Amino acid sequence: MVHGKTTTIKLILGLQSITSGKVTINGYDIEKEFTHAIKKVGAIVENPDMYMYLSGYQNLKLVANLYKGITTERIDKVVKLVKLENRIHDKVSKYSLGMRQRLGIAQAILHEPNLLILDEPTNGLDPEGIKEMRELLVDLATKEKMAILISSHNLAELDNFCTKVCIIKNGEVIETSEISEIKKETSQDLQLFEVDDVNRVKNIIRDMIVIDNHRFKINVSKEEVPEMIEKLVENKIKIYEVKQEEKTLEEAFFEKTGGNVIE
Amino acid sequence: MSLSNLVKNELIKIFKKKTIYITMVVIFLLLIFMNCMFKYANGGSEYDYYLYNENYINSLRCELETLNPEKSSDVTTYINLLSEIQLSEMMEQHKDAEWKLAIINERIAPYITERNTYQYGAEKNEAQVQEINQEIDALLAKLDENDWKYFAREDLAKAEQQIEELNAQKEQTEDKAVLENLETELDNVQMEKEIAEIRLNKEIPYGTNYLNRAISNLQTANNSLANFKNIEELTYQERLEYNSNLEDQAESRYILETGRDIHNTNTLKGILENFYAQFGIFLIVVVVMIAGTIVSEEFNKGTIKLLLVKPYTRNKILMAKAITTFIMIIFIIVVTLVMQILIGGIIFGFDSLSEPVVAYNFNTNTMEEMNIFANLGVQTLTQLPMIILLATLAFAISTFFNNSTLAITISLLGYMAASIINQLAIGYDLQFMKYFVTMNWDLSIYANGDLPYMEGMSMTMSIIICVVYFLIMMIPTFIVFKKRNIKNI
Repeated sequence: MVHGKTTTIKLILGLQSITSGKVTINGYDIEKEFTHAIKKVGAIVENPDMYMYLSGYQNLKLVANLYKGITTERIDKVVKLVKLENRIHDKVSKYSLGMRQRLGIAQAILHEPNLLILDEPTNGLDPEGIKEMRELLVDLATKEKMAILISSHNLAELDNFCTKVCIIKNGEVIETSEISEIKKETSQDLQLFEVDDVNRVKNIIRDMIVIDNHRFKINVSKEEVPEMIEKLVENKIKIYEVKQEEKTLEEAFFEKTGGNVIE
Repeated sequence: MSLSNLVKNELIKIFKKKTIYITMVVIFLLLIFMNCMFKYANGGSEYDYYLYNENYINSLRCELETLNPEKSSDVTTYINLLSEIQLSEMMEQHKDAEWKLAIINERIAPYITERNTYQYGAEKNEAQVQEINQEIDALLAKLDENDWKYFAREDLAKAEQQIEELNAQKEQTEDKAVLENLETELDNVQMEKEIAEIRLNKEIPYGTNYLNRAISNLQTANNSLANFKNIEELTYQERLEYNSNLEDQAESRYILETGRDIHNTNTLKGILENFYAQFGIFLIVVVVMIAGTIVSEEFNKGTIKLLLVKPYTRNKILMAKAITTFIMIIFIIVVTLVMQILIGGIIFGFDSLSEPVVAYNFNTNTMEEMNIFANLGVQTLTQLPMIILLATLAFAISTFFNNSTLAITISLLGYMAASIINQLAIGYDLQFMKYFVTMNWDLSIYANGDLPYMEGMSMTMSIIICVVYFLIMMIPTFIVFKKRNIKNI
């Protein structure tokens, strides 16, 4: 699917030339002041391509050589952070994809960047790997205080730990905002009721969406809920559960992009 | 954020790979193999014109029996076969000293053929046969006295007598053409006298060793040089020929004077003297392999992205790779040289390292002696332009097309085609080729002041041409690398 995720990341990192517009990182133009702009950036583009014939540690050492003042303590600390301390002296060719991904993150954060750019960091990982990666990224954002830019088409994934999204479709930016904002915008107040008999409710409340014999949905705001419960109780209808139904990022996305037409 | 950090990383990447070690081990084994071959190559027959073979002689005898000397169609073959058999038999009897074989081969052989011609040929002459037989017997008797100096003294006496006669003739004639001829003849005889003197003074018995080769080279060179004497203006081709004779003459004289076998390739010094001619291909293969992969491999494996998002400009990154390639050139040359010195030393002994390398210098017209290590330095400097340009070619192609196979193949083809291209250019005298890179990248032609391949070439011009070719390849490479978009890998 060519939507321009990886291309965007490459443009940000100066790996492709920009035809119009400009990218600035930490106030520096990526094309005109490349070395300044890239100094505080760490990145994995596409796959975590490392030197396979070197050990994980040697790979990190190569990166450390290219920045000023990266001590061996810093390398050890980062290795611990990505949980590779047991395998760091093995050749990268013996690593699993998950380990390579983590080594990729280690080399990207070695110089304490304030922006970390990751291209599909959970791609190809098993569920446990995905969970570990998520925890690692949350850790980095909170403990190391770095902004993390992730590209992904796994929306459920992003929903879990991102604060802000930018939706790109067919190369065009459709939306850039906080996730909570998007959800608020697209979700109407939808309430889910579970009762003993839906048929009896039909006589009392109109405009409801029947799901089955026991459940129905209704479009009312939070404030109106107590009023409704009162009404139902008056009619001797047993209520087992009432909850607000939230839209997922996925649903919000489809609403924004106008259905699931992805070319 | 200096360039040296990048270079350091590039070197780490090269030396952590197995490839470099495997190729160096292969070169090590090849060097051992080739040194052993040199060692045994010269262990063959010393008397190269004498190969007595019983079976062969018998087959000649059988063939002889089928021929009838009375028949006019057979007689020439009969005489030749008979002479060959008689010569071989005579040599077999005198194989105790090499000089005897040389005398038999050079002086008695013509008599044998002559005698057989008088005995079996169309004009039979018994008196002549007797006379020749006496001559042969006299020579054989001298051989049995075991004194080779007798022949040298005889040569000397003969030459002195001839000189006297020629000088007498010169005084009697006024004719310019006749005088010129006498002059040339006198030159030749004087040469013969000189050689006989050298033989006696330096105690050089007749034979085929390097001293005798030097004697015959000296004679040939002298005769050739005499031919050039009367030509007013020499063409470039003739000047080249004249120079090569001049060189031969000086070298032969040096060998006879010092008794040094300067062309002996069967010593460590002799091998090192031709280091690049013998082993240059090994160096070039490894150099081209490194230059042709250092950029493209990173693209093919995707690791280039790691480098390009570091705070270094692309120019610096490519510069680091180019510098690393040049460092590796020096490294490979040094390692191969050290390996060759060790292997050659173990096989041939290290003694010859104290012998000087001797070469004729056309500027001073003398034989110049040089320490072997200084000579290796000169050799390396004169070969560096070629090695650097081939590495640059591989480097450029691999950066342009991201294809190491193509880069390595084209560069090696270039190296192999170079000598053919040069030969054709010189052979057909294609003047425009003097600006072509292969004609200029080997500076060793300027080392001893000899004339270059073509008129108008000079070391300064060659260096400029090499620099121009270097820039023509390097500048576009940097531009392409700087502008390249990193596609999906």
